[in-house]
Amino acid sequence: MNFALGSIVLALIWAAITASFTLLNLILGWAIAFMALWLIRKNLASPVLFSKARKIVALGALFFYELALSAIRVAFLVLKPNMKAQLKPGFIAFPLTAKSDGEITLLANLITLTPGTLSVDVSKDKKVLYVHALSVTDKEALIKSIADGFESKIIEVFK
Amino acid sequence: MSSVEFLNLAGTISFGILSLAFFLTIIRIIIGPSLPDRVIALDLLVYIGISYIAVVVIYTGYFLYLDIASALGLVGFLATVAFARFILHRGKTDEPVKKSDKETNS
Amino acid sequence: MIVTIFQYFAGFLMLLGSAFCLLAAVGILRLPDIYTRMHAASKAGTMGTGLLLTAIAFVAFDGAIILRAIAAFVFLLLTAPVAAHLLARAAFLTGHKPTEMTIINELDIKKLDK
Repeated sequence: MNFALGSIVLALIWAAITASFTLLNLILGWAIAFMALWLIRKNLASPVLFSKARKIVALGALFFYELALSAIRVAFLVLKPNMKAQLKPGFIAFPLTAKSDGEITLLANLITLTPGTLSVDVSKDKKVLYVHALSVTDKEALIKSIADGFESKIIEVFK
Repeated sequence: MSSVEFLNLAGTISFGILSLAFFLTIIRIIIGPSLPDRVIALDLLVYIGISYIAVVVIYTGYFLYLDIASALGLVGFLATVAFARFILHRGKTDEPVKKSDKETNS
Repeated sequence: MIVTIFQYFAGFLMLLGSAFCLLAAVGILRLPDIYTRMHAASKAGTMGTGLLLTAIAFVAFDGAIILRAIAAFVFLLLTAPVAAHLLARAAFLTGHKPTEMTIINELDIKKLDK
């Protein structure tokens, strides 16, 4: 995101959160956004392309669907009287195709909020993501579902 | 039943349910057994606190309280991060690596 | 008319959200070890609180308040997985053992970057 666009977006968020869209407040928000962006100017990434908006929206929709599904599944699991019999927790090594730090961070966050999985750590060489799963009945299928679902979509968005 | 009555009833029931959730989480904080267990329970306690504020907002109509919910979420997140750092630090300095659930009754 | 429908819907969302919070608390109490408990807290808890914040957006009828409720929800979604991840990592690195029911453990403490 470049400087001008970033500061305008942040100014709009400022106006939304302080609940007033007057000109003075927008200018104040823009000034604060400018200062905040100036502090991190060395870390600003390359400009985001708007053509990716559709893919980002698709990723967001998939994410909300999976979040609802996972919460419902955990809820049903907790309610079952024979919960311990159904619980097969395990730590799984998930081989990463995603390379950059941003991709891995996003993937780890999404994995945490999706059914039955929780990311624990990344190996030193950033090739393996360790995932804790609630019920490991089929390890290969679980790895495949993450790789085909979120990971491929994230790589598409970042490409 | 009119919609306002239904909203009020839902608010009252939600208060009851959330109180029960609060109580169950506090049981986990008391019985432990280890420090990370307690920190998770505290994290959930913050979420339940935010939920309480959300119900209060709808119940009373004072939308100003929403800002308090946002601030509580922020503080709760920072607290959890600080606790995680603390667990990591303490585990590395004064305790052997293989120590299981018995440790934290202190 | 739309106000009435939204109010019924908000009441329904409130009940659902607080039910999810309760289930997260039950999960915290019933599940056997740290890592499985983290599932309950980070998923059901986030979901419950998120639904309650969405309910506010339905009864507010004010753009600024709706935006603030959505901002709070998004903030929650951004921070919850980070907190869960940090805690799980800290617990594992300090040697808190998973339950005996754990069937696969491919996580090797030597390969991790401390």
